Amino acid sequence: MNITEIIIVSLIKIVFVLGITLLTVAYLVYFERKIAAWAQNRIGPNRVGWQGILQPFADVFKLLLKEDIVPEKANRIVHAIAPMIALFVAFTTYAVIPIGPNVNIFGYDISLVVADVNMGVLYVLALTSLGVYAITFAGWSSGSKYSLLGGIRSSAQMISYEISMGFSIGGVLLLAESLRPIDIVNSQAGLWNAIIQPIGFITFVVSAFAETNRLPFDLPEAEPELVGGFHTEYSSMKFAGFFLAEYANMIIASAMIVTLYLGGWHLPFEQSLGLSGSWLTVFQITSFFVKMGAMLFFFIWVRWSIPRFRYDQLMNLGWKVMFPLSLINIIWVAVIIMITN
Amino acid sequence: MAQTSDSLKKRKKDLTFWQKIYIPEIAKGLALTFKNMIRPKFTMEYPEEKFIPPPSYRGRPVLVLEETGEERCVACGLCSRVCPALAIEVQAAETEREKERYPQKFEINMLRCIFCGLCEEVCPEEAIVMSKDYELAFTNREDAIYGKDKLLTPVSQLKDRIEFLRKYK
Amino acid sequence: MPKIIIDGNEIEFKQGQTIIEAAKDHGIEIPHFCWHPKLSVSGNCRMCLVEVEKMPKLVIACATVASEGMVVHTQSPKTIAARNAVMEFLLINHPLDCPICDEAGECKLQDYAYQHSIGESRFVEEKVHKDKRVKIGPRVMFDAERCISCSRCIRFCDEIAKDSELTFTRRGDRVTITTFPGEELDNPYSMNVVDICPVGALTNADFRFKARVWDMSHTNSICIGCSRGCNIEIWVRNNEILRLTPRHNEDVNSYWMCDHGRLNTFKFVNSETRVNSPHIRKEGQLIRVSWDEAFAEAASRLRTFGKDQIAVIGSAYATCEDNYLVSKFAKNILGTGNLDFIRHIDYSFADDILRKEDLTPNSLGAELMGVKPLKNGLNVEEIIKSIKEGKIKALYLIEDDILTADPEIETYLAKLELLIVHAANFNQSTNFADIVFPAATYAEKNGTFINFQGRLQRIRPAVATIEVDRALEGMALSRLDKFGTKFDRWAQGKHFDARATWKILTSLSNAFGSRWKYKMAEDVFDEMVSSIPELKGLNYDIIGDLGVQLKLEKVNVV
Repeated sequence: MNITEIIIVSLIKIVFVLGITLLTVAYLVYFERKIAAWAQNRIGPNRVGWQGILQPFADVFKLLLKEDIVPEKANRIVHAIAPMIALFVAFTTYAVIPIGPNVNIFGYDISLVVADVNMGVLYVLALTSLGVYAITFAGWSSGSKYSLLGGIRSSAQMISYEISMGFSIGGVLLLAESLRPIDIVNSQAGLWNAIIQPIGFITFVVSAFAETNRLPFDLPEAEPELVGGFHTEYSSMKFAGFFLAEYANMIIASAMIVTLYLGGWHLPFEQSLGLSGSWLTVFQITSFFVKMGAMLFFFIWVRWSIPRFRYDQLMNLGWKVMFPLSLINIIWVAVIIMITN
Repeated sequence: MAQTSDSLKKRKKDLTFWQKIYIPEIAKGLALTFKNMIRPKFTMEYPEEKFIPPPSYRGRPVLVLEETGEERCVACGLCSRVCPALAIEVQAAETEREKERYPQKFEINMLRCIFCGLCEEVCPEEAIVMSKDYELAFTNREDAIYGKDKLLTPVSQLKDRIEFLRKYK
Repeated sequence: MPKIIIDGNEIEFKQGQTIIEAAKDHGIEIPHFCWHPKLSVSGNCRMCLVEVEKMPKLVIACATVASEGMVVHTQSPKTIAARNAVMEFLLINHPLDCPICDEAGECKLQDYAYQHSIGESRFVEEKVHKDKRVKIGPRVMFDAERCISCSRCIRFCDEIAKDSELTFTRRGDRVTITTFPGEELDNPYSMNVVDICPVGALTNADFRFKARVWDMSHTNSICIGCSRGCNIEIWVRNNEILRLTPRHNEDVNSYWMCDHGRLNTFKFVNSETRVNSPHIRKEGQLIRVSWDEAFAEAASRLRTFGKDQIAVIGSAYATCEDNYLVSKFAKNILGTGNLDFIRHIDYSFADDILRKEDLTPNSLGAELMGVKPLKNGLNVEEIIKSIKEGKIKALYLIEDDILTADPEIETYLAKLELLIVHAANFNQSTNFADIVFPAATYAEKNGTFINFQGRLQRIRPAVATIEVDRALEGMALSRLDKFGTKFDRWAQGKHFDARATWKILTSLSNAFGSRWKYKMAEDVFDEMVSSIPELKGLNYDIIGDLGVQLKLEKVNVV
């Protein structure tokens, strides 16, 4: 492939991934509301379109039409930049998530990832760490005590859980001996990391919840105490920015969990199905999305089941439980490698 | 009640090992919510499907109109007096009927009404009762003031409630 | 002083007092229906039965004269049982009419049914039916079923009104009250029977079904019907006076007031003829104008006249405060000595009970405040004569109608170059006025009246004018006033744009360039106290609800 072709292919991939992501985000909001309703014996949105299928568009339309209010005491520039950072971080992360094995289209061998970077995992960690700026900026620039408290909580929470997150990944990297997401997926072709290192899996999932600010760790928002936390003073499309970013982050977190621990597109029995090459690829891509969908459902399901942690409980959990556990996990993986070698 | 206060008193030290681990408890919680997801739904899809309340329901208060076309109300003003929200205004006047007093004006401000039913409870003539009507929407304050024209309801439509009152009041 | 023991309390009594009187003097209430402090004892309701030690049976407290060493029990089991029984008997034939009865809320039977009855009746038979809605007199309605035959109304007519019109007829449970053949309950005091009736048998035909007593506010005031100055309460709902009732004042009117005062002294307050905001005559028509415009116009036009061309007529209907400033205004601002007020004397009105021939409440007050001709000044008759002669060219008339003094003056009023009138209602004089200032009525202002005895008594605002907020002014509030908002329909009652005469004169004087600083009627009164020796040492608090007797040299103005 020459450079033009690479650019064209990459552009196509970017458009494809962005489109899918935006649509998924929109429908994730829809399903969040539906699942919430079901968990509470309600029906959920069912007025806009068949079974409320057009609800997300109505929501977006409503947000677009709303007045954009900026508090008098806000720092206008930072206030406007914050949601952009959030969205930027959320969407650029998709670049390194592989959704299937390489495919052969029109004679080109194309990897199903926008950028096949050899240190992709590090890239993800780096970018998600940037996400804390969005929230901190939003909290600080709003000029409101609720926002500020939300921002402070958020930065403390995200920094704390990043540590256990990073260490949990350590075990995965030890096994894959690579930072490249595709290598990590392929290393799980036989046995998923989730089974080899369950402690790492649990700490990663918990940290992922904390990193995405989802319940039970949504302290930056915490409606009962902080009104809306860092986004109290946001309205219209700026608010929508944060809203989208949260759901986009959920998708990334799900994708990362699937990639790192649930074998990516691999299923343990896939070879025994006897599918031919291209059908196998389709099957594998589908399995990746099904796994991701299951993880997303799990995210939402947890939200409507478990109450919010108290702030001190959150910090205790992060530093006194998750951090040691992730260290134990690294030792455990190291011991396994020692024994099997 | 005793049970609740006991469980409220539960401290961290009282928890078992598995409860402290928390993961089984989370699983239990998730199982519970999942069970609810597949249970039948309670939602009534309002404009198409309407809730018909039982006789014990307290909808908007109405005045009972006898089959003879006369109101039962004698404008004693007790409903107005007892109304905690000052929603009811009554102006009495004299009439040639056997009960010499009748409400020349009887107005309920539905913006003030809190549907407590005290007017119904205090009424010595069983003349004001709570109906099943809960569909109240206005576009301005004036419309929210219901006069005799809107309040008078034939006794035949209120049989349920009147029976309920005779039984339980 | 001799002593008796009531419920373990040793109390002193005056020789000859009955038990109920002795108890009342010491704040012990013995329930009663037929007994009234100002009526003879009839002893027929049996409600005041009390146990007296060493007496074989219970005795009625109203007819038993107290004697030294008597031991009375008003709360013993025997007394309470007797009261229950009496209440049960009284309620046997009393209809359950409370919802449609006007007395509800101030009904003795209702109150006692709560306080002294067990609340259950063993009577299952049909109640006795009697006449309802009987027009027993032109101003009183009678409901025979509700009557408990206490005979207070009969005794009132016999003893107080001195006009025996009522009597009992028939016997037993069929007993009823009726007028003597060919008679009506139409004595000038007939409506007092409504007040003393312990139930709703006798009701006020004028007030009937107008309002519940608990929905009204009541303000202590003084009747303006005549110079007796009966103490009254003004009952107001939705800023409208609905009735007047007498207020007990032993030195003035006892418990009573006459029907004229009760019915004819409040309806003008909310009438269609009220002057609402100042008016100036332009091209023959009285046109509503702003206060400032009216003050400027009045001041500039008054300035054009010489001292001898102006006359000021004060008012015996206005308060002392008003008249004090009228006098001050005439002397200091206009500099005229032609100052007097119109007497309204009707000897046919007077009787030897309460009514006085002077039909104004404040003649003595007006005179004491200096509303009388100065040296070389003209009195009313002379003012009228001078108007006819054309010598007086400008007349300032306060709260009165000059045509009542001399109907013939009508043709000459038009010839006046300037006629300024303070009036609550449009009258014959305002027909000729060039400037009309809307005067607040007695029910809308603070002030004082001096009655024919020389007794200084206070009036208080019961009705709010446009510039007044009931709550902020400390006016009496009904339940609705207190808890409602100004948006509620019951708060939409008329508020007139009127001011007390003293207030109008204060602003007008300031338009003349003087600096009067009266902010409230009390400020005027305080100045009166310092300048009028008869008022020395007084203030509104001292006058209180019952008034104070002044030491005046001349008591009879007639």
